[in-house]
Amino acid sequence: MPQESHRRLVEELTSRGYNAEREAVTLLANAGDPELAAEAAADAAGDAFVVTSEHAREAIDGGLLDRAPESEATPDEPSYPESAEGAADIAEKAPTDMGGADDPTPADELLAGEDGSGHPDVSSGAEISKSQQTASGSGVEGKGSGGEDSSPSSTTADDGRPSPSSTTADAVGSRSPPAPEIRNDVTGQSTGTGEYEEFVGTFQDRYDRLAGLLRGRVNHRPAEAIQSMPGGSDAEMIGLVDDIRSTASGHWIVELEDTTGTFPCLIMKDRAFAPLVDDLLLDECLAVQGTLADDGGIMFVDSLHFPDVPRTHKPNTADRHVQAALISDVHVGSQEFAQEAWDRFAEWLHTPEAEAVEYLLIGGDMVEGVGVYPDQDEELDIVDIYDQYRAFAEELKKVPGDMEIVMIPGNHDAVRLAEPQPAFTEELRDIMSAHDARFTGNPSTVTVEGVSVLMYHGFSLDEVIAELPEEKASYDHPHKAMYQLLKKRHVAPQYGGHTRVAPEEKDYLVIDEVPDVFHTGHVHKLGWGKYHNVLAVNSGCWQEQTDFQKSVNIDPDYGYAPILDLDTLDMTVRKFV
Amino acid sequence: MREDDERYFERMEERLDEAFDRAEAARAQGYDPQTEIEIPVARDMADRVENILGIPGVAERVRELEGQMSREEAALELVEDFVDGSVGDYDSREGKIEGAVRTAVALLTEGVVAAPIEGIDRAELLENDDGTEFVNVYYAGPIRSAGGTAQALSVLVADYARSLLGIEEFHARDDEIERYAEEVALYEKETGLQYTPKDKETKFIAEHLPIMLDGEATGDDEVSGFRDLERVDTNSARGGMCLVLAEGIALKAPKIQRYTRQLDEVDWPWLQDLIDGTYYDSGGDADEDADDEAETDDGEEADGEPSEPEGPVRADPASKYLRDLIAGRPVFGHPSESGGFRLRYGRSRNHGFATAGVHPATMHLVDDFLATGTQIKTERPGKAAGVVPVDSIEGPTVRLANGDVRRIDDPAEALEIRNGVDEILDLGEYLVNFGEFIENNHPLVPASYAVEWWEQEFADAGADVQALRDDPHVDLDTPDPRTALDWADRYDCPIHPEYTYLWHDVTVAEYDALAAAAAGGEIGDDGLLLNRTDDVQRALERLLIEHTTVDDGEALLIPEFRPLLRSLGVTEDLERQWTPADLSERARTWGAEAGDADDAAVADGGRPSPPSADPDGGMAIRDEEGDSPDSSDSADPDAAVDDAITVEGRDDDHAAPSVALPGTNAIEAVNEVTPFEVRERAPTRIGNRMGRPEKSESRDLSPAVHTMFPIGEAGGSQRDVAKAAKDRTDAGRGVIEVSLGERECPDCGEHTYKNRCENCGGHTEPYFECDDCGIEVEPDESGRVVCPRCEWEVESPEERVVDLNAEYHDALDSIGEREGSFSILKGVQGLMSANETPEPMEKGILRAKHDVSSFKDGTVRYDMTDLPVTSVRPEELDTTAAEFRRLGYESDIDGEPLQHDDQLVELKVQDIVLPDGAAEHMMRTADFVDDLLERFYGLDPFYEVEEREDLVGELVFGMAPHTSAAVVGRVVGFTSAAVGYAHPYFHAAKRRNCDGDEDCVMLLLDGLLNFSKEFLPDQRGGRMDAPLVMSSRIDPSEIDDEAHNMDIVRQYPTEFYEASLEMADPGEVEDLIQIGEDTLGTDDEYHGFDHTHDTGDLALGPDLSAYKTLGDMETKMDAQLELSRKLRAVDETDVAERVIENHFLPDLIGNLRAFSSQETRCLDCGEKYRRVPLTGDCRECGGRMTLTVHRGSVNKYMDIAIQVAEEFGCRDYTKQRLEVLERSLESVFENDKNKQSGIADFM
Repeated sequence: MPQESHRRLVEELTSRGYNAEREAVTLLANAGDPELAAEAAADAAGDAFVVTSEHAREAIDGGLLDRAPESEATPDEPSYPESAEGAADIAEKAPTDMGGADDPTPADELLAGEDGSGHPDVSSGAEISKSQQTASGSGVEGKGSGGEDSSPSSTTADDGRPSPSSTTADAVGSRSPPAPEIRNDVTGQSTGTGEYEEFVGTFQDRYDRLAGLLRGRVNHRPAEAIQSMPGGSDAEMIGLVDDIRSTASGHWIVELEDTTGTFPCLIMKDRAFAPLVDDLLLDECLAVQGTLADDGGIMFVDSLHFPDVPRTHKPNTADRHVQAALISDVHVGSQEFAQEAWDRFAEWLHTPEAEAVEYLLIGGDMVEGVGVYPDQDEELDIVDIYDQYRAFAEELKKVPGDMEIVMIPGNHDAVRLAEPQPAFTEELRDIMSAHDARFTGNPSTVTVEGVSVLMYHGFSLDEVIAELPEEKASYDHPHKAMYQLLKKRHVAPQYGGHTRVAPEEKDYLVIDEVPDVFHTGHVHKLGWGKYHNVLAVNSGCWQEQTDFQKSVNIDPDYGYAPILDLDTLDMTVRKFV
Repeated sequence: MREDDERYFERMEERLDEAFDRAEAARAQGYDPQTEIEIPVARDMADRVENILGIPGVAERVRELEGQMSREEAALELVEDFVDGSVGDYDSREGKIEGAVRTAVALLTEGVVAAPIEGIDRAELLENDDGTEFVNVYYAGPIRSAGGTAQALSVLVADYARSLLGIEEFHARDDEIERYAEEVALYEKETGLQYTPKDKETKFIAEHLPIMLDGEATGDDEVSGFRDLERVDTNSARGGMCLVLAEGIALKAPKIQRYTRQLDEVDWPWLQDLIDGTYYDSGGDADEDADDEAETDDGEEADGEPSEPEGPVRADPASKYLRDLIAGRPVFGHPSESGGFRLRYGRSRNHGFATAGVHPATMHLVDDFLATGTQIKTERPGKAAGVVPVDSIEGPTVRLANGDVRRIDDPAEALEIRNGVDEILDLGEYLVNFGEFIENNHPLVPASYAVEWWEQEFADAGADVQALRDDPHVDLDTPDPRTALDWADRYDCPIHPEYTYLWHDVTVAEYDALAAAAAGGEIGDDGLLLNRTDDVQRALERLLIEHTTVDDGEALLIPEFRPLLRSLGVTEDLERQWTPADLSERARTWGAEAGDADDAAVADGGRPSPPSADPDGGMAIRDEEGDSPDSSDSADPDAAVDDAITVEGRDDDHAAPSVALPGTNAIEAVNEVTPFEVRERAPTRIGNRMGRPEKSESRDLSPAVHTMFPIGEAGGSQRDVAKAAKDRTDAGRGVIEVSLGERECPDCGEHTYKNRCENCGGHTEPYFECDDCGIEVEPDESGRVVCPRCEWEVESPEERVVDLNAEYHDALDSIGEREGSFSILKGVQGLMSANETPEPMEKGILRAKHDVSSFKDGTVRYDMTDLPVTSVRPEELDTTAAEFRRLGYESDIDGEPLQHDDQLVELKVQDIVLPDGAAEHMMRTADFVDDLLERFYGLDPFYEVEEREDLVGELVFGMAPHTSAAVVGRVVGFTSAAVGYAHPYFHAAKRRNCDGDEDCVMLLLDGLLNFSKEFLPDQRGGRMDAPLVMSSRIDPSEIDDEAHNMDIVRQYPTEFYEASLEMADPGEVEDLIQIGEDTLGTDDEYHGFDHTHDTGDLALGPDLSAYKTLGDMETKMDAQLELSRKLRAVDETDVAERVIENHFLPDLIGNLRAFSSQETRCLDCGEKYRRVPLTGDCRECGGRMTLTVHRGSVNKYMDIAIQVAEEFGCRDYTKQRLEVLERSLESVFENDKNKQSGIADFM
């Protein structure tokens, strides 16, 4: 667990809009008061996004730390100097508070909206928080009357910093989660310019990395070499599936490709593993062992291997009782946006029950978007895309400000559709600046409290569900489709169909390291389960059934929030409708 | 039939016989696949049915039955004949069913379309789960051309045959039922259906159909749910089946029921449930219905509030025609928008049958986008129409850059002033004939007041119209103003249309203001001089009153002011004789919404506002915003109320009490002010946009084909025979290996691929030898060739080595041609026919020499847009009265002897007018045929055409796509319009109407000599578009009955116009106006096609649409948007939106999607890969690879789309979609770490 001072420092930096290198944090934390250190470092870092160790040294050496305390107020929010001042103290106390507030309620009993607003122990800390509420405006307007009148303090700070209201011992919502760590984010790293070679590079990278996972299991011979091997030899090969076809007699030919060429592999229909062919997707990586035919032109497959997640995989857990809410597909701006459910959810987060929920991970589709399907404007509640994000930001403000929020984009969002999708543009981030949420690409690996969460919007799930047999992947059991992706160690294996690929210098869609949690959305169905100890969660949505869904008979699961215990990886799903 | 009709047909058949004689002599020589002519003549429908089907005996039986019963009943009657074997020679039960079904479809489609042969593959007997047999009918895509009724009846016929044969019903399995539902939905998504049954409906039908519907896969997409079914051999949608089920059974259930009721053997009780929709689960359905009802009730209540205001009768605007707007094809008017085309009833002589009459001046003023034959998508009465020039209607009205407003009735004038047009205030009249309303079953819409209506009212009022017409000093069509006013005063008759202004297009307040302005004006020598204000100017422009701007734009001069003054209630001493208070409540509020009227009572006129509740629906306001000083806050729904007061306040001369004038339509006020009646000048406006451009071009395959001789890859991509013959191969110079059919000479036994034995001159026959066992097989009756021992199909084609060099030079020598006589001789890569029979190369050489090319069936064709014409002047057809007399025309339409070239003559049914391009092409074809006869067949030439006049009187084939029957036509003249004008019955005989349809003509002897079924591709649809039979004479009862709905009178009666004002059903007045149907079966069925309007020339206006003369898509789109700015009736922002929405966005989105899921291609060998090979290079040849979708093709429209969106003020929604896309493009195509610098970086 990182030291308390480190965490506060990171918090301070994030509240100012900076990420920080680990080394920089250490340097700064050792320099004294985290508030001042952060301020100094921020000054030093200037326009950069990341505070580097260089910045930190500059801050320390340059005597920036000696500055007068007035400069504490961040320039963009000058109206709350008091709260900023108080923040450091509260933050210090926070961990102890959290330790004591461990009172899980069985999920079924909860209907968060009612519970939250009427909760008895959320009545103090009035003045400051009240003034904040007024100042922060619309964030609370959408709530039920109970929230505003009886328990003003239940809405902690709305401005994104630790709340003074929690100075009282029994107050809730005093969270001070350490910053998540983000890996495999394409944002700012998209170097592709749409050239042929980049496509080649992307797929070669896919092959290299996935083949690396299989190397231990088979003794790979290049396709070119196998082509010249005499008939009857034993052969083993790792390759991307280039083609799958059936023969007249019902056997299967799987064409495998590596960087030297392709080789056809015959899977006899009476083999025990033959049914696995139904699960195959084009362009996933496979290893096979078998014997060459007498003429050497084809390999009879004896065994088949997927990169897969090792059964021995041991997930990491948090060192303390802390929870994360995994949600997705908010679709603000849609006429079907489930406002009431969302409000109940946001309100619940302010209750003591939700005290341990320090992280909110959102898996894409913040808004309904524009031009996603024909004549969409006729079904939009908010037609302007920027207004949609503004409205989303308002919804986000209803969530306690001291939570760590991470967002990836989805296919309805105003970013490129081709995957990997970089995070929201500056312009959109500015709109969604509430609570200093973190923005990262789709997919990204987000590590919170040591637990790694692979966040992917889930666009490929449609195709996986369409291609694979019902029992392996269906809309009613979306997590089973996710198992397949884990097994293939790639979030969107099949190229050329629905999936759109933007060529980059590496294949960001490969699941390089086994995550502890795999979080997707997109299909608007709730489903979760464990695959080789990896928790797969498809988190439903906040949009009621649309006309389109009605026409194809999809009944979305809306208003559910899966709450994950990061210390046990147990999950509770809360319902807010 | 009258005697001269008989003479006409005999004369034509005489020429036909001459051609047949010559062609028979030629084909008898054995150079062609068959020694007989392969296009049999059908004298009637029964003949055609028999010939198309090739089932002997059908014609005779059809003729027997025809007199006794309807065609549908005859089809059912024939089933019995097939079953008991009295018709058709089928042994098997499935054969009998198949024959009966095909015959039924052929009968119902008049033996013209290809559906019966191409749309029904076979009928077969399969086994139910309980072991009983059932009937499966296997449909294919071309069944579409049969239409819903014939499709549905084919199933009924199959079932009738089934029950007569005692075969069990089909019992669909559950998964099959589900599959039908999934498949129909898939087909709808992929291809689209006219009517898509709900899943429940489809399942209900599938569950109850006693016949299994099956068919071949027509799409690439596969169903996801019910795949790999045992009795369904594809996972794709079966198009033919889907059509029959959805557009046939589901849509035509009531029609089928009529026939099932007549048949004891066939009982489809479930049809009633299908019709009633009672197949739903009762529970949910009831609720749904209840909801629906509740909604309708609410709606009605809202509409039917007690105080429903009486208002002008108008058809509701319909905007469907604007859907799928295409870049480069302009909109001419938004729905029912003022300033758009004004509907006038009537039929011009080149009009009717889905056409629209437009003034040629309008065609020029819309920047030549409209030409004769251009298709327009229209608001009503139909969906689309072909444009025809009619100059006897009113032309457009424009405001010039100098402010003058003029009506342009002369195409030459239109061209002269075109560059100076500031705004097109009105597109002029738009002629639609009554028959269109019958055909489309569209309620009549209020008629424009026109001279033909006024004349009848004038006569009814007691005027001696005939005497006036004979008076040389009186012009009834355009009397001078004093006369017109005098007539209106003396007779109780509405004012002449010439002086009826468009009062319904100005508000009551504007009317009041204009009266005030007139009273404040002065009368000079040239006319009435008014102070120019925006209101006055706008009012005059909407009224379409011609005026000029004088005194540096300070004043407006109206030359013809007397009728205006009278209509304004202002005396010639400029004394205003009324005040708004004199108007009745009704007149003051006419046309205002109910809400507005109520508001009027309480309005207290606080806010100044310009007139805005105008009949334009607020659209034209924006145009004026720029120059109107107080228009900043227009668009206020009840602004008219305030405006009334404002106007009133301004008008100080009248100390009248202030009265609200919320009415948006001044016609009632005018009628209260004037002593005579003023009718609505143009109550119905018709919006439309351009559809397809007109067409007139030769049909060339791509690449063009001169000779149907296979040369493989030898001739390069040009398929150059000379090059192939010259190039050296391993086997020698010009020796190539190609696949060709094997034939055998019955006389000497010689084996060859040629049609004529080189050994003995005998005619060879296709030779079938089983590849495996080597025995010779003969084709069976159905044409299948199956080896009796190996039980597989045997084909005659085989790979063989051909000395093309020798072949080519022998051919040249045999007809005495040199290589220099043509530029290139193109062959084909391979033959697509079953027996791969080649054509003698001599034919190709002569085609190349005369620069004509061949269609897949060996004929030379010319395509053109169809337009109707019922009367012509020899002069306009570039021919003479003398020539016409030679063709058998004796008198003009009035019965006067035909003496002068400009006399109007009624066209005979099979006579056609060729466009210049076709004439030129036909001349070359004629030369080719003559050369062919002389040099190849050694016969006398037939045509000997020196100049194009020589083509007059020659016979051609007319033939439409998707049909299999040609109609004989006779050339009578030529036109510079790029269309094929012919009698509407001629087009209907080909199963075409004239709403932009196009089809082709062939020269008669070319078809007889060169067509062979042996050339037709051996694949689905191969026999479509091929003249399997020809009709030598048109029987008006046996054509598409759409043509019978054309009106054929000289004048529509007053009652008709009055009925139109009430939007009566067209059926109510059908008896008043004679239509084609009324003369069917009488002596007059070929005669008396009168018209109400004349036109100066069939080819007025531009010869080609600007769409065809402008260069690339961007230029066209610029012109389209430019025009949208000029037209008052068009909202240019909407046009820009639609262009972006329908053209740019799909292009951008589609290409971006294509980019990120693209295939790659080898630059060297052309091999394609679904995904980049991991090797990077081509796996086949090691060559360099490239993308198939490049950045350039993805973002080519990005900048222009953004620019258009900006320039035309598109919605933020649209702009934002473009923004998001632009950023996506950047994100995909730009390196984050090395962004391309924009120009801004250097500023």
